[in-house]
Amino acid sequence: MKSRGFIITSLASVVAAGGLGVGGYYWSVAHVQRWTGMDHLGFVNCNHCHLVRVEKLPWAKERPRHPAPAGLAVSPDGRRLYIALDDVNEVAEADTATLQVNRRIKLAGGPYGLLAHPQDGRLFVTLRHADAVVELEPGRLTEVARIPVGKGPVCLAYTRTEAGERLIVANSLSDDASLLSLSPLAEIARPHTGREPFATAMSADGSVAFVVGRIAETKDFVTPAASELTLIRAATGRVLKRVPLESAHLAEGLATVASRGWALTPLVKVRNLIPITQVANGWVMSSGLGITLADGQTVQVPLDEANDYFADPSGIAVDPAGRYAYVVSGGSDAVSVVDLERLSDWLSKACELTRREAVDDLSLSAEYVVARLRTGRNPRAVTLSPDGRRLFVGERLADRVLVVDTATREPVGHVVLGDGGAWDPIRRGESVFTKAAHTFQSQFSCRSCHPDGHVDGLAYDFDGDGIGDNLLDNRSLHGLASTAPFKWIGSNPSVEVQCGPRFARVLMRTDPIPPDDLKDLATYLQSLPPTGWERRRDLALTPTQERGRQLFFATTRPDGTPIPRERQCQTCHRPPLFTARIPTAVGTRGPRDATELFDTPHLLGIGYSAPYLHDGRAKTLEELWTTYQTNDLHGVSSYWSKHQLNDLIEYLKTL
Amino acid sequence: MNTPKNRNRRPEWLAGIFLTVALAAPAALQAEPVVKDGDLPMPLIERFENFGAKDGIPTHKVHAVYKTRDGHLWIGTWDGLCVREADGKFKRYGPEDGLSHKMVLCITEDPTTGDLWVATMRGLNKFSGGKFTQYTQTNSGLPNNVVYGCDVLDDMVVVATAAGAGILNLKTGQWRIFDHTNSLMHEPWCYAVKGAKDLIYWGIWGAGVLEYDFKKNTWKEYRDPDRDFHYDLVPDDGLINDITSWLSWEDGILWQNTYFGFTRYDGKKFKTWVQDQSPLLSNFTQIVWPHRRVAWIGMDKGVSVTDGEVWVNYEVGTDGEGIRTIHRPGAQPEKTVMNTALANRFVLGIYVDDEEAWFATSDGLSRGVYANPNPYKRLPGIAAAP
Repeated sequence: MKSRGFIITSLASVVAAGGLGVGGYYWSVAHVQRWTGMDHLGFVNCNHCHLVRVEKLPWAKERPRHPAPAGLAVSPDGRRLYIALDDVNEVAEADTATLQVNRRIKLAGGPYGLLAHPQDGRLFVTLRHADAVVELEPGRLTEVARIPVGKGPVCLAYTRTEAGERLIVANSLSDDASLLSLSPLAEIARPHTGREPFATAMSADGSVAFVVGRIAETKDFVTPAASELTLIRAATGRVLKRVPLESAHLAEGLATVASRGWALTPLVKVRNLIPITQVANGWVMSSGLGITLADGQTVQVPLDEANDYFADPSGIAVDPAGRYAYVVSGGSDAVSVVDLERLSDWLSKACELTRREAVDDLSLSAEYVVARLRTGRNPRAVTLSPDGRRLFVGERLADRVLVVDTATREPVGHVVLGDGGAWDPIRRGESVFTKAAHTFQSQFSCRSCHPDGHVDGLAYDFDGDGIGDNLLDNRSLHGLASTAPFKWIGSNPSVEVQCGPRFARVLMRTDPIPPDDLKDLATYLQSLPPTGWERRRDLALTPTQERGRQLFFATTRPDGTPIPRERQCQTCHRPPLFTARIPTAVGTRGPRDATELFDTPHLLGIGYSAPYLHDGRAKTLEELWTTYQTNDLHGVSSYWSKHQLNDLIEYLKTL
Repeated sequence: MNTPKNRNRRPEWLAGIFLTVALAAPAALQAEPVVKDGDLPMPLIERFENFGAKDGIPTHKVHAVYKTRDGHLWIGTWDGLCVREADGKFKRYGPEDGLSHKMVLCITEDPTTGDLWVATMRGLNKFSGGKFTQYTQTNSGLPNNVVYGCDVLDDMVVVATAAGAGILNLKTGQWRIFDHTNSLMHEPWCYAVKGAKDLIYWGIWGAGVLEYDFKKNTWKEYRDPDRDFHYDLVPDDGLINDITSWLSWEDGILWQNTYFGFTRYDGKKFKTWVQDQSPLLSNFTQIVWPHRRVAWIGMDKGVSVTDGEVWVNYEVGTDGEGIRTIHRPGAQPEKTVMNTALANRFVLGIYVDDEEAWFATSDGLSRGVYANPNPYKRLPGIAAAP
């Protein structure tokens, strides 16, 4: 009897469990259909919309920190080298003779850009995450003054004008520059610059400040994008000229040549309007040097050689005599030494047409690149001693500063700051991310299109689905953890697949990233927080933002009419990641698109990732609803007033 | 002024006119006399220089004129934005250069960055370092594309549009917009805006003037107390009319243009003028440029210049000659025929500084050349330039 009862109970349990399972399945399918309004979805589980906790995500957890060198500065007497260590919130001081670190002081807020006052050695530091500039007394490196500036300050330069001493600060996240007076330390002006200003320099006579943006700005699908070099009167902050650097982006360095009146800008020559097939011909991305002449004319010349590229040019330094420029290539671990006299000779002989086409002639660099110096991993910042005899190169992912004798062009040694972090998979992944060796002829790295993991603001034409079809906006990699699938059509279930063999074929045009490196790369990418997350996370909403939040989560119109669930913002952009990770049709299919279903992007940091939609057609958040929504498919917006739209956008910027 | 009270006063007024004309007739016959202007609180224009198609201005209709701190003269026309170059010719910028619309209505400058802000019939533009950036109602928080007026105050660009007022914070990029739903505005049609230290004044079509204290987030409304559209029943009791066609503010004084007269408000008292009870040339006033507490008023019949007491009028005679009339309190008008005149009597825009005066008219651009260089330096009672 006992065994019979057991059998009956077991059978009943199996039937009940089966019933629950089948019933649960049909309920869940109906639940998904009811919420999304779609019945043709593939696999969807509870995790798409539920059970996600931000604090469990990789980017929200504490990660290992590394003493990676950011900005560099040398004291006026040349005896001390200062190194900003943004990741560990420190500034280091090293002896340039012994190459030993004398001390490291704590400075919260992500110290990034450094400048030593040319006379008294006062140290000025930009705090990238605290939106401030601090002044340190040079003896003890104690803070004596602090001033708020724009968002994300990363670089600063000094000059003395007829109106007093000035600092110009590049504010990378607010797309402007802060012009500061030193006596007293005060902000005089904050003119707008190009997008994501990342480097500054002063003219030889001190009258003009130069600021260059590292993200190119686009007009439409047929006009090459251009980065902006902004010329500002150093005494007053008046904007003098905005020089477009055509087809140039990732301009992260800037130097002036006193003897020639030049401004030099290392840049990535990007040709996103041609199909990616042209990677095989070297036509999509190459490295160059922008030379802005005294008359404002700009000539771009290559830094690469045929079949040998030097990806991601970043920092630049020019010796006091104006003879040599040193350009570091973060993707290729090299410093290119440019003979400016030879470059000037070539320029004097080049006709207008030759100058215009120069950057496409990779044989040209032999005319003026006289040496390539090898460095450790991912050189980014570079500076020279005041006498020009020592070159200091920050090897960011090696936690070292390379010191080079400029006379012999031989390494003298290293200032060692850390162990390079090879034990840390995130650090190893960042190394993969920044390494150009994974692309055909080392033309570019992941970082070339995703500076610091973010966007470059460009749309690309991947030819696998037809040349000229399915243009794709470059998406930010910030905050991507747990937002699979990837790709705008949502066909890649993981980062490993997204960046795997297929990617090597369609983009990198070389061997796939080895499995171990790919795993590290995925770990690194998932460790990237949404842009500006730290500065926003604890801020209370303003009344405007709160009104926008209520609009985002609205379930009815003001007259009480229900908004269909599948058209409520929160359904597809479900918190906390603000994506349900389900491809959705929101009426944005263009004439050259193969599908109307597009992946639902997460909205974390969306205020910083323009342009928008799968092909980047919406230049601003407003355009999503004012220009590219006519049918209430991308949220029900037809009842919104201008007030409500503005409120919503202010809320979206808080995510 | 057809109130009973005014009708009673008309004979005296008419007699005054006849007497004035009779006494002024001999002066009118004298061409270009030497004028004693040393006692005037404003510079006197001795001749006009006119500019049009021959100078590169693309159309006859000029809406706005502005001289930037670096000395460049900009004009907004029916067909583009123009700048006067070193050779005296005007260079045009249009939609093909990035301007959002060819019809330019207002120009102002950020005094710090030198950025030019240009209001058009389709959007607001920033012209900075040779590059246009467009702000429209579809790509930004701008309340409406028809932007009649704009001004820069500290870190803010303020606008008056056909569907509300707006403030763009240049540091944060955030727009705040106001209309009849969230301010004292009775209707959203804003014609003019001017920053005034901690305040912003908006001129509203049909709703007078709104004062916004942006630090306290409070509003104050100035209306015509009699609320009569066509007549000012009680002079000096408040705004002369609720239909504000333009306004400006300088050195503590607010000036209001309407199509029914002109108002001055010094923070305590109002003073109003209409054409038939003052030297004001016309009730149809459409622009005012205050400079050192002197108002330069553009209207359909020329230009009136006044500090509230003394008036100087510039008209265009039937044969195209200029007519200048000085009205001193208690004295007979001094009328002078000038060899040169405004390009057109319909004046749409004015810019004045210590060196010269510029007038945008519906048929070209005019420059007023002062009879005496640096006129204000001889007048110790005049407020210093900001």
